[in-house]
Amino acid sequence: MPKRTPDAPARALRTQLDVAGELMALLRDTTTEPRPDTQLEALTLAVAADLPVLLWGEPGIGKSAALTQLAESLDLPLTTVIASVHEPSDFSGLPVVGDDPAGQGVPMAPPDWAVRLVRAGRGLLFLDELSTAPPAVQAALLRLVLERRIGALQLPPGVRIVAAANPRSSAADGWELSPPLANRFVHLQWVHDHEVVVRGLGGTWPRATLPRLAPERLAQAVALARRAVCGLLAARPALVHRMPSGETRRGGAWPSPRSWETTLRLIAFATAAEASRDVLSLLVRGAVGDGPGLELLASMDRMDLPDPETLLADPAVAELPERGDLRQAVLDGVVAAVRERPDRSRWDAAWALLVRAVETGAPDLVVVPATTLATLRQGDWDVPPSIEALAGAVSISRRAEQAAARAAVATKARR
Amino acid sequence: MTRGEPGALDLDKLFAARLQAARARPYLATALFALHTVESRWVPTMAVDRHWRCYVSPGFVDRTPVEELAGVWVHEVSHLLRDHHGRSDRFAREHGLTGPAERLRMNIAADCEINDDAFGDGLVRPAGAVEPEALGLPEGELMEEYLSRFRLGPHTQHLAWLDCGSGADGLERGWELGPDGAHGLSAQERDAVRFRVAQGITGRPGDASKGWQRWAEEVFHPPQPWRQLLGAAVRSAASGPGAGEDYTYGRPSRRSVAVPGAVLPSLRRRPPRVAVVVDTSGSVSDTELGSALLEVTAISRAVGGRRDLVTVLSCDAATRVVHPLCRAEGIPLAGGGGTDLRSGFARALRAHPRPDVVVALTDGQTPWPSAPPPCRTVVGLFDRSVTRSWDEEDPDYVPEAPPAWARVVTIGRTGAAR
Repeated sequence: MPKRTPDAPARALRTQLDVAGELMALLRDTTTEPRPDTQLEALTLAVAADLPVLLWGEPGIGKSAALTQLAESLDLPLTTVIASVHEPSDFSGLPVVGDDPAGQGVPMAPPDWAVRLVRAGRGLLFLDELSTAPPAVQAALLRLVLERRIGALQLPPGVRIVAAANPRSSAADGWELSPPLANRFVHLQWVHDHEVVVRGLGGTWPRATLPRLAPERLAQAVALARRAVCGLLAARPALVHRMPSGETRRGGAWPSPRSWETTLRLIAFATAAEASRDVLSLLVRGAVGDGPGLELLASMDRMDLPDPETLLADPAVAELPERGDLRQAVLDGVVAAVRERPDRSRWDAAWALLVRAVETGAPDLVVVPATTLATLRQGDWDVPPSIEALAGAVSISRRAEQAAARAAVATKARR
Repeated sequence: MTRGEPGALDLDKLFAARLQAARARPYLATALFALHTVESRWVPTMAVDRHWRCYVSPGFVDRTPVEELAGVWVHEVSHLLRDHHGRSDRFAREHGLTGPAERLRMNIAADCEINDDAFGDGLVRPAGAVEPEALGLPEGELMEEYLSRFRLGPHTQHLAWLDCGSGADGLERGWELGPDGAHGLSAQERDAVRFRVAQGITGRPGDASKGWQRWAEEVFHPPQPWRQLLGAAVRSAASGPGAGEDYTYGRPSRRSVAVPGAVLPSLRRRPPRVAVVVDTSGSVSDTELGSALLEVTAISRAVGGRRDLVTVLSCDAATRVVHPLCRAEGIPLAGGGGTDLRSGFARALRAHPRPDVVVALTDGQTPWPSAPPPCRTVVGLFDRSVTRSWDEEDPDYVPEAPPAWARVVTIGRTGAAR
């Protein structure tokens, strides 16, 4: 072997590593662009509301990356704990045997990450790989998520908890979440956006603008949330508590008084932050499940519609919704209100509203409400002159009837 | 809205047709009224985009009778309710399909799914509507099933003008207003409309056709692939506490050194014993039974059950499939028996040592054990009745549902219906 000067290989090595470093710096050199991100907004709101969130997603689609971004934007230190490689004692405390265990007892010592978290007083605790943790570990986590205790330590209020799990189809040997544990989380389905990934690998990652709570809307938000949840549950008592039945819904969100309380808080936060309906939909469905969540959203849609009594009070300035199905729902509501308390002036006001509806939108929507309203006429009530404006709707109705008659003949002949 | 000009869109005719459609199919009224109409000279007839706008050609409205237009309304709104654009996108991604020709094929397949039960009963079939029969395909199938059954060729040449818009096949057209245009519905609003229509159908199922009832049942809870579900159920049963992996004090923990004097549990794995009870009354197809049985044994082996820990108990009716399978797989077969599931369970539990998991493959036409067996139970149920839930008009009908203590996976209906 030829003798080398001692520093030559060292320099060669360093330059190679330097070049590698330069290459990596170039690879890291990416920019960001603002882009609305519904799932990140939902995650942020749930974390702000101090509700434990569970992200469901295939491995490798950026759940951890999203958590890093969230921790940065909330200015919280991130602590990641891989639940599946820990033992139950890591969450319930390790027994430390002292000199006189019989006299002094055996204290349960918390692990170091928990001590650091408590000392910091604030932080984002990320429990990864939750669904692959054995049942005994899940049981220990239950206490951590619910009571916020690790051994003898109490997590301070500034600590937020987020967990992640792989769906059952991709978890190799997965345990599934027990219903009590599943009920404590807001379940968010984490999916990747093809376009975002391609653009990101090309050098431009999205930067989500995160929702901000508006201090002046707080009281109103709470009132709205209470009205929405109580309104639905008063009408549909069966939705209050429904354990998941059937294989397909196991380990996911289900309605219970606890998850409805969660929902109430989520609606209040989403309203205070003026989040979009899409964000609210993710949150609500993640808290109580798809079916009850959609029912709640549908009843909130109805809550948004103008009140029939307000419309009847002043039909001349009435603002009717643009969308056909909502407009018909409003008109139906107006007619129902007149039927409930029939009186001459209300009846006239309802006709005025129907005329307004014909003038500002599709005439076929008016036909059914007009027919019903006509049947509500009592003895000496005269038909208002404005009804002339409804002639178009009447002719459309007649045309549809004729077409239906022809169709009936045609379909009968075909059979 | 300008009316009466030559060549302008005859809105009155269009809305009269919509009214007739809503009267003929009341459960679709919400969806029909939610559509926003846009006049367009680029579409041959009528088309929808994924944001629930409906593009209408004025010429088409002029030359088409009202009763046929009503049929077209129902057809177009069906594309949106049945999420044909999303399903087309998924199908294209899964099968690596690109290009407008494939999208045309998706449009044709989607039309076939709608048209086989959309018309009649007060709605006239519009001229030129594609029906599966014309392509030599069976009726009553899903778009995905049709897609794997036909190709474009001379017999589909006359359909090349077919264009129901991106709402039908997922391909954006140049003349569409796009996501930023006015009057589109957001994803949440689209879900809400579909949910309201589905609720209307499940609330009064008598009014809707079988196809729509199936859609309403599955739209927000699509049936999942039974293979995955059965796998998850068996895996979870075979590895739950008491069977398989859990903490035990029978062995020193690897952390014992760190905490002298304290007794810590250690993680230990014990391979589970799985007994499969096959109980059919001969109405189950051999392929279904064979694949289910193979699935169960493969899964239970994968969670640590060695080949000798999987036992199969067969009943006589199933002998033809079970015997050769067990011989080929080297699985011990424990005697035949009656066709009563209870005797199958009793026989499985009499074994020494007792199984940790019992998997029953059955079509459910059998009495169930009255008490839960002292081990985890998974029932693979071969579904024999598609619309069982609507037999409630018959007061004597008692559905033979499996007991609540078992985890039930319905086998045989692979569903992509959304």
